[in-house]
Amino acid sequence: MNTDRRRRWLRPFRGFVASVGWTVIAAMIGLVVAVPLVWVVFTALKSSRQVSLDPLGLPDVWHWENIPSAWQVGHFERYFANSVLVSVPSVAITLILSLLAAYAFAVLSFKGKSILFTLFLAGLTLPESVLIIPLFYEMVALGLLNTLWALILPQIALSLPFAILLLYGFIRGLPKELLDAGRIDGCTEWSLLFQVVAPLCRPALLSLMVFNFMWAWNSFLLPMILIQVDSQRTLPAGLNYFQGRYVTNLPLLMAGAAISFLPVIVVYAIFQRQFIKGITTGAFR
Amino acid sequence: MMGSRLEPRLSQYARTRIQVARPQLPVRILAKKHTMAENMLDRHNGVLPTARPNVWGKRLQGYLFIIPAFVLYATFFLWPLIQLVQLSLTDWDGLSPKHFIGLGNYRLLLFDDEVFWKAFGHNALWLLAAEVLPIALGLVLAILLARSPMRGRAFFRALYFAPQVLSSVIVAVIWRWIYNPTSGALNTFLRAIGLGSLQRGWLGDSLLAFPALFIAYTWVGYGFTMVIFLAALQDIDETLFDAAKVDGANWLQQFRHVLVPSIRGPLTTVLLITAIGSFQVFDLVFILTRGGPGFATQVLAMYMYQNAFPFSRVGYGATIAVTLGVIILVFSLIFLRVRNALREEA
Repeated sequence: MNTDRRRRWLRPFRGFVASVGWTVIAAMIGLVVAVPLVWVVFTALKSSRQVSLDPLGLPDVWHWENIPSAWQVGHFERYFANSVLVSVPSVAITLILSLLAAYAFAVLSFKGKSILFTLFLAGLTLPESVLIIPLFYEMVALGLLNTLWALILPQIALSLPFAILLLYGFIRGLPKELLDAGRIDGCTEWSLLFQVVAPLCRPALLSLMVFNFMWAWNSFLLPMILIQVDSQRTLPAGLNYFQGRYVTNLPLLMAGAAISFLPVIVVYAIFQRQFIKGITTGAFR
Repeated sequence: MMGSRLEPRLSQYARTRIQVARPQLPVRILAKKHTMAENMLDRHNGVLPTARPNVWGKRLQGYLFIIPAFVLYATFFLWPLIQLVQLSLTDWDGLSPKHFIGLGNYRLLLFDDEVFWKAFGHNALWLLAAEVLPIALGLVLAILLARSPMRGRAFFRALYFAPQVLSSVIVAVIWRWIYNPTSGALNTFLRAIGLGSLQRGWLGDSLLAFPALFIAYTWVGYGFTMVIFLAALQDIDETLFDAAKVDGANWLQQFRHVLVPSIRGPLTTVLLITAIGSFQVFDLVFILTRGGPGFATQVLAMYMYQNAFPFSRVGYGATIAVTLGVIILVFSLIFLRVRNALREEA
């Protein structure tokens, strides 16, 4: 009787207690994910002395100047610029070329279509690591080694198959009547593609953009093999080089790491929905 | 499954227009704003006519549209692929003239190279571990996010997924520091909580290096599976769970008989994508251990790199690359076949 009444009194709160409990569990898991990153930032802001004496504590003096000095010592402005100069053109060209090709495969008819399409599909199956050896010697032969073109061109070639496949499926899903109506209204295939089809493909194009950008931005193997001069390194290759040189100077190394991931995390925090969707779509490659 | 989430949204106006005019037309087209398409619907009063195909113009245009993509693809994908197969049949060292040696490299690789089989074994072990740990973790987190009465779902989803956007180099730099024997976070932490006797040189220990690498990978790898499962869980009809509860099913029975059957498709997909990824492992191994200590963490991509570049055995490296490509190809073909089967089922 007594316990019964107490339970009745508690009932409205049970849902609340459960939700708080589960949120606490979720936060604890979140901590495991976030702690390494937060710790990197803390370590980056300590003095070398404190890092060796008290590796776990918060910085007792916040050495904000570590960040700009790592930026300078590591030439991160160069790496950032190169990463942008590689990622932006390779994504833009991939999107335009794959839209053109996907439209042709989906709508137009011409001889050899299925053979060409199959050839493109073959590209879905192989990763860049398998092709890196011949790519290296091809770049040597073309005189493109140690230039950003050595990264942009293979990046596009590797991105095209999935982009074409995705857009092909998307365009095939559009009603034929729409395109026919456009043709009767005097559209050329070209304006039909860019004024009717492309706007309709926006969700797919957006996902492809995010996915291909992340792929190009984070790519490590291509710049590691195809770039051997520091002035042309992209961010991942540059950070790898940086960590090789300053492995003993922990605050500097961690400042370099923080410089590399903070911008990505900020952009991700703003556009996380698009990121999650884009990366997940791309993983089906 | 991918198609359904990417389907463009139909504007309400266009939807009614089409439905009124053509009730039999599948309604799944047209994005939110696109005046061109709407104008056309207007002009033709919703009934879109069928055009006479202009075969010749189209045929030429087809090539014009495809040529730019194909030239790039052929030059930087197909041509290197042909070159790779050729190289694998030579003893080239990168400098002196190539000698054709037939299948000699393959014979050596498959029958006389212990390191190759060690590396293959490590990839296989990686595959087994990757099919269990990140997938189980991803499923648990997806269930937490989708089915517990927690608050702040969107925030936690974004947080859990965050490592996925980092480049592997950043991940490697962070974990190299965590595993550092003297100043590393892990050993310092063990000392601080009085478990100093458990301190290890994590990446330098031939028994621990592989699990240590795999933990670093798992910190990233679960995010993708989590998001896939989460999308699938949110699609489950809630009445199925209610029905199970009415029948007196406990949480384990609900998990087995309601949840698992409804995510069978995504689960298969994730298992196969993970398998493909397991044979591509390179970046983390390259930065954290270089395949060492000894051959304790040697993997195929690493062995290929070492032969082709530092050891100047380009032909042999190409042979490993071809072998690796064939393994990945087999998994990819299984994946494509299973995906098509799942699509037909759906």
